[in-house]
Amino acid sequence: MAEEEPIMRLENVNAGYEKLQTLFDVSLEIPRGKITVIVGPNGAGKSTLLKTLFGLTTVYSGKVIFEGKDITGLPPHERAKLGMAFIFQLNNIFANLTVIENLRLAGHDLPKDELEKRINEVFETFPRLRERMYQKAGTMSGGERQMLAMGIGMIRKPKLFLIDEPTAGLAPKIAKEVLANVKRLNEQGYTVVLVEQNVKAGLEIGHKGVLVVSGRIVFDGPAEQLLARKDLAKLYLGLAV
Amino acid sequence: MDWNLFTSTTIYASVLALLSLGITLIYMTTKVFNFAHPRLSLVAAYAAATLMAYYAQSTGAQPNLTPKSSFLGSLTVPFSWEFYVIGVIVAMAFGVIAALVEYYGILKPLQRRGADYLMLMIATLAYDFLLVATLFIYNTHVDVRKVLARIGVLSTKMSMTSYDVTIVTSGGAFISGSFIFSVILILLLGVSLYLLLFKTTLGVKMRASVENPPLAEVLGINVERVYAISWIISGLTAGLAGYLMLMAAGAGNLKPISATSPADEIVVSAFAGSIIGGVNSIFGSIAGGLLIGYIELYIPNWLAIWTGNAELFKYSKVISMLAVAITLLFAPEGLAGLLKGERWKKLFGRKEEEGVSEE
Repeated sequence: MAEEEPIMRLENVNAGYEKLQTLFDVSLEIPRGKITVIVGPNGAGKSTLLKTLFGLTTVYSGKVIFEGKDITGLPPHERAKLGMAFIFQLNNIFANLTVIENLRLAGHDLPKDELEKRINEVFETFPRLRERMYQKAGTMSGGERQMLAMGIGMIRKPKLFLIDEPTAGLAPKIAKEVLANVKRLNEQGYTVVLVEQNVKAGLEIGHKGVLVVSGRIVFDGPAEQLLARKDLAKLYLGLAV
Repeated sequence: MDWNLFTSTTIYASVLALLSLGITLIYMTTKVFNFAHPRLSLVAAYAAATLMAYYAQSTGAQPNLTPKSSFLGSLTVPFSWEFYVIGVIVAMAFGVIAALVEYYGILKPLQRRGADYLMLMIATLAYDFLLVATLFIYNTHVDVRKVLARIGVLSTKMSMTSYDVTIVTSGGAFISGSFIFSVILILLLGVSLYLLLFKTTLGVKMRASVENPPLAEVLGINVERVYAISWIISGLTAGLAGYLMLMAAGAGNLKPISATSPADEIVVSAFAGSIIGGVNSIFGSIAGGLLIGYIELYIPNWLAIWTGNAELFKYSKVISMLAVAITLLFAPEGLAGLLKGERWKKLFGRKEEEGVSEE
């Protein structure tokens, strides 16, 4: 079944930043239509793993496969064309542009009526953005910014969303809202890979859980199973048991 | 009011505005302080002068300096309009060529080899020396001299001021073509930059690429092309400045371009304009350039009248340096910073919008 075929796969990947290797022999499958949550202690390589999916790191060996195609050496903007959207942790919007300008820019290569249609879809998913349409994006709250960042991603109708720690530095209440929005994104049919430092909240919205420690995958399975593994939680995640 | 001081200062201020704009634009996009920038206009001026003279030579046109009467007053148009149009177009073209050679020939290759911003800055200085030396060789070349001499222009002290269009009104006021051109140019430049940056997709892409290049790239915007466009605009405006320097040499602080004084001093004022404008603001740079132009000439003029010492005129550059010092000390964001909303909001006790950033 096509449903069973993963959208993306890493095969025995060794990767890092130039000469500094941070990922060791990583193999991973990203299931289609699901939320995959990558968790792990600080500096474990969660973000590196996500960036490797998007081509922002150096891959020394192994393969990166997207929809059956080997894209290991492909630069990020080419991957964007294939249907991958990466949402950075910080600076993921244009603060000096208005909300609507941000969205129009994201769809700069779309036909006009198609773009307007997609902007409308974004506004339906995130009504708050419609209210803020003509406001400079930089004057919005942290939660709204993340909302806009996801909206920018949606305009391009990506097959895969890669979201890097969207709740970092946000107040707990707003963080919860942001994760709810990630879930809403998934409910619209988007496949999501999420890196999240808030392990519990992250795994609660996720289908698949991946635990990365010291650059290696330690757990790879259903999110609720990872959540239930008290031994792992104690060891690596600092969760109160 | 001293009309002649006003018109010549306006021309000078416009040249500075054009140059400051180019410096700021390049700094905003490629983060390089381009010390060679004012010299790009020199290349443009030399090329324009040569080709204008060549045009006059090939068509056998002689300057016609007898004034005609018109509804504005007595009007002198030494050459046909093609002569001036050729000058403007050639100047813009060579400004762009000199800018693109700098970017693609020097800065980009260095960047690819991992040069940092400091290295690039020094490289722009090297390019500056290279241009000066090349132009020196060029304007002492015997054929170039001959072509220019044909219409009475000295290659060692290049100026076409005597061929500028002039109007002397019935009231005796003197209006030069360069003055009219510079006023129209600055207005047009302001309006067209506003339209480009805020009303076109390209403009939004430019603003986006300036603010957040990695994100722009992720969205499939060709940031590299946006940078190239900004170098082209900077070359165009340098070319226009060069044309004005050629046609209005002697106006304000504009020196006739020569091998011994190859527009050296204007570098200082152009950078002052950019810094006072706020370094990161396009419109600030235009305002900054204009402001420097006016205060550099008006303040020494007032001081000279007040003290009765005409020598004070020589110290006009001190004024721009002081203006830079004051800006950096008290308003480092320059004119752009002063005009930003926050300052006024605070003055009137309005609170900032809530939740501006939680990062």
